[in-house]
Amino acid sequence: MSEMSEKEKSIFKKAVSFFKDFTYGMATHGMARHALKTRSSMEHLFILITMGDMLGVPILPPYYSMRLLPFVVPQITTWKRRMLRERELMESMY
Amino acid sequence: MNSLYILVVWAIVWIFGYYVYARWVDRKVYKADPKRTTPAKMYMDGVDFMPAPKTVLFGFQLNSIAGAAPIIGPIVALQWGWLPALLWLAFGVFFIGWLHDYSSAMVSMRNDGDTFGAISYKLISPRARGILLTFIYFYLLLIAAAFGHVITKGLVGNPSLPFPMLVVVGVALLVGQLIYKTKVDILWTTIIAIILIFAGIWAGNYIHIKTSYTVMLIAVLIFGYVSAILPVWRFIQPYNYSSVYVVYFGIIAGVIGIIIGHKPLTLPAFTGWSIKIGPLWPMLFVTIACGCISGWHSLVSSTATSRQLANELDARPVAGGAMFAEFTIATIALIVCAVSFSGKAEYLQALKNPVGIFTLGLGNAITTLGFPASFAKSVSGAMILILALTIVNLVFRFMKVATVELLGDKIGIAKNAHVATIVALIFAFVLVKTGTWLYIWVLFGGANQLMAGLALLLVTLWLLSKGKNYKIAMIPMFFMYATTIAALIYISQKLLRLLFTGKVTGTKIIGNIIGWGAGILLVIIALILAYDGYIAFKKYKAMKAEEVSEE
Repeated sequence: MSEMSEKEKSIFKKAVSFFKDFTYGMATHGMARHALKTRSSMEHLFILITMGDMLGVPILPPYYSMRLLPFVVPQITTWKRRMLRERELMESMY
Repeated sequence: MNSLYILVVWAIVWIFGYYVYARWVDRKVYKADPKRTTPAKMYMDGVDFMPAPKTVLFGFQLNSIAGAAPIIGPIVALQWGWLPALLWLAFGVFFIGWLHDYSSAMVSMRNDGDTFGAISYKLISPRARGILLTFIYFYLLLIAAAFGHVITKGLVGNPSLPFPMLVVVGVALLVGQLIYKTKVDILWTTIIAIILIFAGIWAGNYIHIKTSYTVMLIAVLIFGYVSAILPVWRFIQPYNYSSVYVVYFGIIAGVIGIIIGHKPLTLPAFTGWSIKIGPLWPMLFVTIACGCISGWHSLVSSTATSRQLANELDARPVAGGAMFAEFTIATIALIVCAVSFSGKAEYLQALKNPVGIFTLGLGNAITTLGFPASFAKSVSGAMILILALTIVNLVFRFMKVATVELLGDKIGIAKNAHVATIVALIFAFVLVKTGTWLYIWVLFGGANQLMAGLALLLVTLWLLSKGKNYKIAMIPMFFMYATTIAALIYISQKLLRLLFTGKVTGTKIIGNIIGWGAGILLVIIALILAYDGYIAFKKYKAMKAEEVSEE
């Protein structure tokens, strides 16, 4: 009997978890993605200004770039990939 | 016949479509591999490429693909009778719809998360990408016009709806302010939003707003302008967020109401092979697009979802599952409308306002649960208008971006966001005011289905290039291509004939000319892409033959 109720509990938990995730996906996931996109474009703009040399766009004197380099190291790979990736018009939809 | 039998058909399609056919395609054709690294993991940047749980993505995909079209399509298609509409919905989603959405996600995933524009560049030809973008602009214009009319007519036809919609807009602005500026907890924000929206819907029964069609259309276009110009966080996102709960309520209450009410279908099963819109083939197949098969979904699957799937095995429940869920919405719309009229004549009389039909149908289903009839109908009306406005705000925003991107370098003023938006709004206004809605709807359906045909063409070529069973996509692609081109040619010649026989007068002449031009343009685009696709097909076929002979 107790095993049965455990099973029921597990099913109930799964159902609640599904409902929560589904509602999050329906209502908020798009918002969260947009907030991330906004933040990332700001950050990428900052890295472009400070580390433009890496893409052949020297904006800031290298002295300051080198001073800032340790702070942006973790983001350099994704930043380069995003900056150089070809973009499609359709991407602006979602 | 009792409406519950339709739910039985729905369940059979779900079970065999999702658990048998879709599983077979997933495992045997695409050979989805849980060990293969997806673009979301490979190129994870925390923004575009980011793995997300499949349940979250399922909700995201459903929210992105389901607008008002899966509701309005079946309502209009009931003119042929509920049986042809049901059969097309069932067979369409079973053999084509889910496959199209799922394949779009899979092909994009196997191509590093590329969008369909980039994939068409690679697989078909360089010019295919440009043509595709031009096509999408006109496609969006038709969407704007089709939904612009539906919303306007719905608001004019039911004076208790404009006030709730104003409340929804106000709540969206408030939610944006509370979440992003005042930093109020999202739970409290949600509670406040839900209370205000439902209170607004209730109050709409006492506060009636009546105005002319043109004034209401301008109000709808102002909504489009505001959503295109304001930052996404300020209006569009909070609007989508706060209105989801009305849609939730409508769908859940509707399904329970149908089961409890289990009313008999009062509209005829079949009315004839040819009706006012045109013959059953091809016209029915473009009248019902979303809910069955829709090209729009390929854009969602290939630009957003494919970059968030953490596991290849998730593509079936996310993209395929969301399509079957949208099929559920279309089935609900079909049932609630097919049980709500005493006969065909009454239904045809009401068809001028599809929102009114759905409001009546879903309202009756919700009333079965004990809600007051006036409130139930207002919720139903608000639900469909919210869904339609969700599409409108996305469409005008994208048209603005497209105008800036495509014309910005050639015409300086096109770079201005206000100018780009107003140009799109003027196009939509002229088309709505001068066109005949039924033909615009069919043209929109045609463009939508053509988009699906193009996506299936890309899928066919990709499957062929990888030595997989390409026929599962090629046969639906031929069907969609032939049907859509036939429908577009039929509607274009009909518009032209009406023009030359003098059956249209005044401003309607302009609408007919625009409609005819759009139809012909879409056909030309489709033929060019089909030709390029054929050349690519021959190339990949020859390559495969060479590989076999070398072995």
